[in-house]
Amino acid sequence: MASEAAYRTNVWVDWCPACGNFGILAAMQKALAELKIPPEKVVDISGIGCSGKTSHFLNVNGVHNLHGRSIPYAEGIKLANPDLTVIVNGGDGDLLGIGMAHFVALGRRNLDIKVIIHDNQVYGLTKGQASPTLRVGQKVKSMPLPNMQDWVNPITVALASGYTFVARAYALWVDDLKEILKMAIRHRGAAVIDVLQPCPTWNNIYTPDFYKQKLYRLDSDKGWDPFVKSPDPKEAAEKLSRAFERAQEWGERIPIGIFYVNPYVESFADNVSKVNTFYESMPPAKNVIAREDGTPVIDLQAMRSMFRDYIIEVSRNNRRQAQSQ
Amino acid sequence: MALKEVHLILGGPQGAGVETTASVLTASLAELGYGVMSDREYYSNIVGRHSYVHFTVSATSFPRSLTYPVELMGAMDAESVFTHFHEVAEGGVLVYDTGLEASRLMQVVSMEPEVRARVEARLKAYGVEPTVAGAVRAAKEGLKALPVGLDYKGVLEEARQKLGVTSVEVQRYRNSILLGAAAAVLGLDPDALREGLAVRFRGNKKVIEANMVVVELAMDSVPGAARGAARLEPSSLDVEEMLSASGNDVVGMAKIVGGVRYQAYYPITPASDESVFIEAHQSISVDGKPVGSIVVFQTEDEIAAVNSAIGAALTGVRAATATSGPGFSLMVEGLGWAGHNEVPLLITLYQRGGPSTGQPTRGEQGDLLFSLFASHGEFPRIVITSGDIEEVFYDTIKALNWAERFQVPVIHLLDKYMANVIASMRVPDPSAVKVERGKLVLKASGPAKRFDLSEAISPRPAIGSGAITWYTGDEHDEWGHISEDPINRVRMYDKRMRKLEIMDQEIPPEERAVYYGNGDVDFLLVGWGFVKGVALDALEELRAQGYHGAYLHLKVFSPFPSRYVSAILSKFSPSRVIDVEHNYLGQAAMAVRMYTGYEISRFVLKYTGRPIYRMELVDAVKRILEGKSTREVLTYGE
Repeated sequence: MASEAAYRTNVWVDWCPACGNFGILAAMQKALAELKIPPEKVVDISGIGCSGKTSHFLNVNGVHNLHGRSIPYAEGIKLANPDLTVIVNGGDGDLLGIGMAHFVALGRRNLDIKVIIHDNQVYGLTKGQASPTLRVGQKVKSMPLPNMQDWVNPITVALASGYTFVARAYALWVDDLKEILKMAIRHRGAAVIDVLQPCPTWNNIYTPDFYKQKLYRLDSDKGWDPFVKSPDPKEAAEKLSRAFERAQEWGERIPIGIFYVNPYVESFADNVSKVNTFYESMPPAKNVIAREDGTPVIDLQAMRSMFRDYIIEVSRNNRRQAQSQ
Repeated sequence: MALKEVHLILGGPQGAGVETTASVLTASLAELGYGVMSDREYYSNIVGRHSYVHFTVSATSFPRSLTYPVELMGAMDAESVFTHFHEVAEGGVLVYDTGLEASRLMQVVSMEPEVRARVEARLKAYGVEPTVAGAVRAAKEGLKALPVGLDYKGVLEEARQKLGVTSVEVQRYRNSILLGAAAAVLGLDPDALREGLAVRFRGNKKVIEANMVVVELAMDSVPGAARGAARLEPSSLDVEEMLSASGNDVVGMAKIVGGVRYQAYYPITPASDESVFIEAHQSISVDGKPVGSIVVFQTEDEIAAVNSAIGAALTGVRAATATSGPGFSLMVEGLGWAGHNEVPLLITLYQRGGPSTGQPTRGEQGDLLFSLFASHGEFPRIVITSGDIEEVFYDTIKALNWAERFQVPVIHLLDKYMANVIASMRVPDPSAVKVERGKLVLKASGPAKRFDLSEAISPRPAIGSGAITWYTGDEHDEWGHISEDPINRVRMYDKRMRKLEIMDQEIPPEERAVYYGNGDVDFLLVGWGFVKGVALDALEELRAQGYHGAYLHLKVFSPFPSRYVSAILSKFSPSRVIDVEHNYLGQAAMAVRMYTGYEISRFVLKYTGRPIYRMELVDAVKRILEGKSTREVLTYGE
């Protein structure tokens, strides 16, 4: 069994001491090790900010890209090579601010990509401005004035967007997070895990003490069942409604755990396969595009056949007429 | 007397099928062996505004340019008559609907006020009433054209009876009145039209025959004097088959043949037709055996389009996107990431009128400098342009090869004219091209130095190859991990930028600039992209008038063939070097100056959104050569 160490690089982890990101990184390494996914088959995609560096600390393929654009990179990689396990690690500002359009679009596509939101309510690397998950009126220590904009709730946005695996975890409860991660990776479809993480440097509201007091596990309620178990749309609708209701809870008690899982929704790749006959057996990354002599696999004859609607044979009569002149 | 070349316009309201009629006519003419080129002019509108297709048809070559006046103008509606009556040649034919004779200019609500004012002044100058009948009289008496009034309603009623359909259903075939009239005037055999209809309607017999009923009725209604008034001589083009397609289609074909297996796009005029074409051909088989699949991904915006294409490219797939100016503006940050991370990526950029929304359905060459400099920071890129649809095909494949060989983003800079032109060409031969994948590695294992500094162009293991690689938008070390070390910075910066020199050495200058000129020439036109055809045709016409010039066709602006271009420019007197472009600034001339230090001081520019026409270019060049002007701004065309 591959050990977690196999998923570590020798790049020094330069997050602040006690940063919640350490928990996320550890959970990632443990989950991948336990699932025994070879590092070369995994792609970690990250955007800008502290969370963006995650890719460099993981011994898997890493694509540390632009602010807010991790999801498009992930989509291109996954669609081109469906064999890869594709995980996005992005900040709350990255995914829910500048990258929100992509976040919503991935949900409606239900493509098999796992999105981990590093949710610490602040922009850390730019010194503590409010992120889209900080509530209106709240003021963390680096802000001169209280927040004038209200939050977006990552769980309700994810549910409304069509994600078929929606969960919340806490970065410092690494084993819980690891288990949720494993389930998300095994799930076939778009998954979101909103990971609450303390930012010891900038966020003096959502501290470990705060979370210790407020967090409770959804599955501590024996009747909580977020898993859709049949293709019946009624069941999905009911469970989705309950998830929405529970997702409103944010105050004295904050739920973590799994809100909603529906394995019966077709993924984007399924829909591509329906119209693209050869996609499943020959996705783009498995195409051979040239012959041994270097010429394209599509030769003149194949081209004539593919584009026959655009190729017009000059009538024989006319050719004869032209030649006789 | 039969003609070697014929020019014609078919006009009607947007959404009424003029485009279909034009494509049937194009196919029919191709079937007869004629070379065809047509430009589609239309508003950013779905239904109702004026649109027209402007053709050049040749019996001796594949046409390269458009010109006025036309030997045939076919009008579906009053607006077409008003807009184009003055463009009919002496002896040319104006086909119109007699039912519209009483229509007044003021009643044409779809006409923009500026156009109406211009038409009104024109009619006044001819001393005729502002009605269709007045415009027809102006064409007849003022221009010595031959008006052919057909009773469209009567033709359709007769067709309705023959076909046994309702009066609503028969309207579907209304455009075939123009088709029949055009066939009669051009002296075409109706069988050729049947073939053209068969191509367009993919052998749907019912539709073909119904249209043929209307075609034949319309042909019969054309009076004897007009029949064959613009007869073409039999074609002497030595071809057995032709490809007849739009520029968008040809790029799509070339991307498929050239190995693009991932195309991401966001809908935008005039680029999306290309992606739609590729989508329609996404399952690929050769000799009945499956050989691959293409993912065409319609994204939520152009930012997602370019970045997902970069993602796909990292897996070793040839990936591309297609867009126009506004979309490219959004792609700029992604372009920089691709440049920084040495990702082969093809962006097909169809320029349209800018800035901002500009003129979405009209052409321009306003994005040359933007393409050269888009995105912050410095990185090597290739900017390649194409002069006709044949070049478009081969350049697309070349662009894909260069992207992988040099591990750079490539911008293939086209425009609306090229996107929408429907032209015929020889069927391109894939065996004439090679797929060059450079240092792509498809099988590897373990962590790899993606940015190995031992060479400017490092091995490129695909994600999924078995290697483990890292990429970052930050400056990186050989492993692709973040590095702010000053010495590494210089080495990595140099590694990237050195590719400019390598590309300059490895891509022959004759592929980057092409000189067209024989023998004794004493002036030079300099242009790029769609200007090529009209420049070459204008030169032929000028030669016949005693002006002997050459054309320098600039194709690759990065890496620019500086020495090669300098050598050509230096052979001409500075007052006889004329820059011809579709923009205000003379952007290619600015690029020439930047790269060579040579300052071009004579300009022919057009930025109306309409193509440069042969006759106006000939006149403008003459005025400059005669010293009457140094800067000519062209405005012909509605």
